[in-house]
Amino acid sequence: MKLALRELRRRPGRFVVATTILTLISLLLMFLGGLLDGLVGSSTGALRAQPVDAIVFSSTSQDSLVRSRIDGEVRAEVEDAAGDAEVGGLGSVQLGGRLDGRGPRDLVPVVLFGYELAPEGLPDEPPGEGEVYADDSLQAEGIEEGTTIRLGPERSEVTVIGFITDSRYSGQGTLWGSLDTWRQVLSANRPGQQVGDDVVQALVIRGGAAPEDLPATVDRATDGATSTLTVDGAIEALPGVSQQRSVFNQIIGVTVVIAIVVVALFFALLTVERTALYGVLKAVGAGSGTLFAGVVLQAVVVTLIASAIGVTAALVLDAVIPTGSLPFVALPARLVSNVAFLVVAAVVGCAFSLRRVLRIDPASAIGTSQ
Amino acid sequence: MFLALREMRRAKVRFGLLIAAIGLLVFLILTQQALQDGLITSFVGAIERQSAPVLVYSVDGQRTLQGSVIPPDLERGIGEVDGVAEAGRLGQGTFTVNVGDDADSDAALIGFERQDLGGPDGLSAGRLPEADGEAVGSDTDFSVGDTVRVVGAGGGDGPELTVVGLAEDAQIQVSPTLFVRWPDYEAATSAANPDAGTVLPNAIGVRPEGGVSADQLVSRINDASEDADALTRSAAAVEAPGVAQVRQSFNIIFLLYGLVVPLVTGLFFLIITFQKAGALTLLRAIGARSGVLVRSLLVQVVLVIGGGIVVGTALFAPLSQARLGSLALRFDPTAVLAWAALLMVLGLASALVAARRVLAIDPIEATTGGGAR
Repeated sequence: MKLALRELRRRPGRFVVATTILTLISLLLMFLGGLLDGLVGSSTGALRAQPVDAIVFSSTSQDSLVRSRIDGEVRAEVEDAAGDAEVGGLGSVQLGGRLDGRGPRDLVPVVLFGYELAPEGLPDEPPGEGEVYADDSLQAEGIEEGTTIRLGPERSEVTVIGFITDSRYSGQGTLWGSLDTWRQVLSANRPGQQVGDDVVQALVIRGGAAPEDLPATVDRATDGATSTLTVDGAIEALPGVSQQRSVFNQIIGVTVVIAIVVVALFFALLTVERTALYGVLKAVGAGSGTLFAGVVLQAVVVTLIASAIGVTAALVLDAVIPTGSLPFVALPARLVSNVAFLVVAAVVGCAFSLRRVLRIDPASAIGTSQ
Repeated sequence: MFLALREMRRAKVRFGLLIAAIGLLVFLILTQQALQDGLITSFVGAIERQSAPVLVYSVDGQRTLQGSVIPPDLERGIGEVDGVAEAGRLGQGTFTVNVGDDADSDAALIGFERQDLGGPDGLSAGRLPEADGEAVGSDTDFSVGDTVRVVGAGGGDGPELTVVGLAEDAQIQVSPTLFVRWPDYEAATSAANPDAGTVLPNAIGVRPEGGVSADQLVSRINDASEDADALTRSAAAVEAPGVAQVRQSFNIIFLLYGLVVPLVTGLFFLIITFQKAGALTLLRAIGARSGVLVRSLLVQVVLVIGGGIVVGTALFAPLSQARLGSLALRFDPTAVLAWAALLMVLGLASALVAARRVLAIDPIEATTGGGAR
């Protein structure tokens, strides 16, 4: 083992190209993973922020918030089915926001949510008419407490009274106000989408007994007029989320396989080069296990160096990418899992050299070297 | 040649692993190229496929058709701009539909008031709609003769549409897409949301008068109203939100994969050249010219990268016939050839370090054992 580490220290040049290639692969994994997390995170924050057991859509909406409509009659049925649980309405509209001091064409894209049950991090009571909480990603646009945003072609004014974290939706920053504020802004700016006074786009249900049975209970009670999902189910139902996840994970998987092949190739070549040396070491008593452990150790060290560069690059990228450009985020869980994938790839890749190490005959190796 | 092939036959595992690595990289590159092309076409294909040379959104729409709403006064103002020959409404929404007896699914409807200002431009099959209730569908999602019923709020009936024509690359928002006449679009919107007020257009398609170019008309409309965001047809597609980010993200991924291929190839041949330095020196000492040895090296590089490209393309070919949700992938021979050429050039360039090493071999070293150092 010491020998393996000493070789790494004394002849680093031998490992530079392999480290470079593994660094590129590590960068690829970090970038792909960060892109996936960024895409999914910026599309689903508003749903993840709901501290609820279930989200109720109308059954004909294909679980799309924008297309879902739940009227007062259906709501009453849902409330009956939910028993002691709290039920609140939810509505959304995507608009451009105008800010003082910016050009007439320089708008901030936002999604205004109307709510009754507060998302995580907000006070229980929705804000007053014309007041909203803003997602903190909008601070990068210069929005702060007290900022007035004029929404949509009708310039409906809302004032920011505080901030909420990680609630982006459809890749845009969100504003959170009362259902009345949402209805007014919707009617003024999207007459084709306006809704009646008792209509919301979705209902959220919080608390109550047996939350695991809630979706089926609610849908039975409304006679199929609703499609009730858990928060995770609603996230997966968002257009593109499950496809993005599946495609990116497959690409990441193939990239890990490439890492395995690269490690296998490189250390197989190194092992061939060291055949005579290993023969001598075996002749003086070194076991095959010890020699192979040295190869694995070198592969792991090289991989950890490459991973460290990849992780650092991902963190730097996350810090310097401006909001609203690339949807990239470096999540600790993703970074750790990518490093783990690479280390496993290194160990598996080295296994290709095991057979060659085992087959080395000390006697013939010594004979050759002589 | 003989030496190159003989060596490859004798070291099958080593060369096989390299070909496998390059094959997987080529497969990933081609798959991601197909994903990028498919995504962009599915995002904005219908914008390029519609017939209006200039589209006018509201500034609030942020250059998305569905997000834009044109109020009546803005619509009037656009029609009055000097240089506008004709104008027609366009609307777009995503609806729940039944196709035949299938279960509910999503479809985007693009409503056009005038066939030549927002209707589909060029069909791959069938004909254009001639009456209400007829539609042109994206050809990857519909067939001529399909009956599509828009599902209204609460499961009620919306308009029923018959697909009479198909258009290639005509999706929007990665959804199956139907071009319908304006009255059908209004009926679908009202059925989906009975509370809806007036159905306003999402954009206005305009045609410039003779002697006025599309670019000139865009400038005039944007100068006339700060609420109007006029774009030529191609600019509307290219500048749609998300398109630039998709390209940027994939370009970074392509760059990284593109670097890995020559590095792996270069590293492999450099190590191999080091390992057989003794044999190469001996060959030089008995009269083999350095050009022959370099040619042998380059033949191996071409065979390895060529093998990788064949393996990668063979893996990609069946995948390119697949669909990911509403996203159709495509086998694009031009893209395959372009990547093959680029990777071959990069691979050969990366082998130059090994070739330089071969050229530097001094035959005299054979007498001193230096070649093996």
